[in-house]
Amino acid sequence: MVETTLTDATLTDTTLTNAASASAVESTCTDIRRLDPAAAAAHLRAAAEAGRGFLGLDPVTQNDALLAAELARMQAQVFRAGDMLLGSVPNPDQPRQAFIAATSADPEPLRILLGFLDTRQRCNSFVAMVPDGAACAAAFASCGFRQVGVLRDHRYQSGAYQDVIVYHAESGFFASADSEVPCSA
Amino acid sequence: MMLRGYRSGDARLLSGPWTAGELLGLPVNGRPALVEDAAVEPPRDAAVELCIAPGVAFVRFSELDWTARRARLEIGIQPQAIDAVAMLLKTAVAHGFHVLNLHRLYGWVTPAADPPLAVLGDAGFQREASVPAGNWLDGAAVQRQIWGAVRRG
Repeated sequence: MVETTLTDATLTDTTLTNAASASAVESTCTDIRRLDPAAAAAHLRAAAEAGRGFLGLDPVTQNDALLAAELARMQAQVFRAGDMLLGSVPNPDQPRQAFIAATSADPEPLRILLGFLDTRQRCNSFVAMVPDGAACAAAFASCGFRQVGVLRDHRYQSGAYQDVIVYHAESGFFASADSEVPCSA
Repeated sequence: MMLRGYRSGDARLLSGPWTAGELLGLPVNGRPALVEDAAVEPPRDAAVELCIAPGVAFVRFSELDWTARRARLEIGIQPQAIDAVAMLLKTAVAHGFHVLNLHRLYGWVTPAADPPLAVLGDAGFQREASVPAGNWLDGAAVQRQIWGAVRRG
């Protein structure tokens, strides 16, 4: 398992200074590290409930080998910021769009990931599919995502079907003092 | 109309002049001749259920989740068989719900490609999400929608 530091977008200050994050959960991370699929699967398993629905995966019902294989098949990039996991999968039909996932309500690591994808990988459109009621929805809202739909009965958990909320954001809505300056598309 | 499993002799049905990844892949009007045909791969393992309507179309159930009992549905219809689209879609839904015992089917629809939305509604699909810039078509990012059908009863 391999972890590499995402040096292009490293948090050096744990104090949130921008207005957009004033009401957000205080960030506890100091850097973001890229995980290979095997390490990502292990961290997803450790995340337990928070990892359920991450990029459409479920570490409770899927074993590590399957999680790693699915992440590789999707060409997912997974990052760890403290206890938080962040993920990105390219849209194969629209190279400027990525599907995003997170495991906690902390917006600052998410904002850094979005800035990294914008400035380094030329993504300018972001989609998140979040289980209804998941804590990470607050992070997406803080980063400028808006709801664009509801997928009915998309998940099955705890004996019942659950909806999944679809969010979307465009580049330029998530910049903060701590993240890289988004480039114009 | 019946669906059956994919055989190697069905390979010619796996590509055609439609928009890639669509719930209802139909020939696109005004498609430039230089554009490569859309295609799906033959199945390599049990991760995808690839079915064939002989001589008409492929019907692909991918992103299968056997816990949530859901699948993404993709259909590619050959140009000479577009009159069969309504029956084919209903057959695909019935196959997903009653043969594969799935609870939910969903797929991506690009309105700019002018799909027959009424046919989707008649087969039990509803528009569930509209994602800006979800597809690339004719040199621009265009909206893409997610349509879903849920089995009741």
